[in-house]
Amino acid sequence: MYAKQDKRKTESAHEISGKLDTSVWVRAFSSNSEWSNKDEFLDVIYWIRQVLGLIIGITWGVVAMKGFAGIISFSLLNAGLVYIYFNNFQKVEEEEYGGAWEITKEGFMTSFASFMVSWIIVYSAIQYG
Amino acid sequence: MGGGEARGRMVEGKGREMGVIIFTLFLGLTWLLVYRTEKYQKLKLEVERQSKKLEKKKDAFGDGGGDRSQRKKIERQEEKLKNNSRDLSLVKMKSMFAIGFSFTALMSMFNSIFDGRVVAKLPFVPITWLQGLSHRNLLGDDYSDCSFIFLYILCTMSIRQNIQKLLGFAPSRAANQQGGGLFSPPPVK
Repeated sequence: MYAKQDKRKTESAHEISGKLDTSVWVRAFSSNSEWSNKDEFLDVIYWIRQVLGLIIGITWGVVAMKGFAGIISFSLLNAGLVYIYFNNFQKVEEEEYGGAWEITKEGFMTSFASFMVSWIIVYSAIQYG
Repeated sequence: MGGGEARGRMVEGKGREMGVIIFTLFLGLTWLLVYRTEKYQKLKLEVERQSKKLEKKKDAFGDGGGDRSQRKKIERQEEKLKNNSRDLSLVKMKSMFAIGFSFTALMSMFNSIFDGRVVAKLPFVPITWLQGLSHRNLLGDDYSDCSFIFLYILCTMSIRQNIQKLLGFAPSRAANQQGGGLFSPPPVK
């Protein structure tokens, strides 16, 4: 009884904050983890996306990638890596999350914006700084 | 000449600092006014719990399945959820106004500082209908020059949502999926 109440408390605490606690990170980086809370997994996908956007943006800026090839390769890389992550690494049932498209969409726009900002700033700083 | 330029730069720097301070104050204020209030916390929890419950129930019975009393129960719950999420968006409205106001103020301030200047070089040439934005008030035909407003919009897009998510102000997925809120279309019957 108490355990159940406790569990509910921690669950709602997670829902309020939207942050990820440490056990989630452990699960995020180990293959085939159990995801009882759907939102937790989507949050992991979201934050992986953001980090990926920043890293790719900075890399493209450093290697002075130019033109729409940069944007297209970012989109492909971003979608592809996330697809590989949830399909081959975590092996989740995509139907539970409303199909592969739902997961691929999660946080894409924000990650795209982070990518653009880091790409533009690093590129400008290196080429014209 | 040189002295005037240096002074201009100093004024600019001060303006920027002031802007950042005012902006932070504004955000802190809205945080205190809206997100710390007990009403908001309670409503948010309630909406989330109800959306989850409703989703589970709908999953269990399907849309057309279940007997009449169960369907009625679901309907009653939907009604309750709708009321709650309407209250929640009313509470949030206050912060939306304050934030909208502070973002506009910040933008007009940055506009007066950076107007007509190239703030960055784009590594690509934007498509035609974006050039009006990325090349706003800039001289010359080099469309890879970037005006401040383009960078500002991109920054808001990436930073604002991430901060909201980090601090837990972003609306939850369960509540989003069930619709609700002030501006969502009424459910089809």
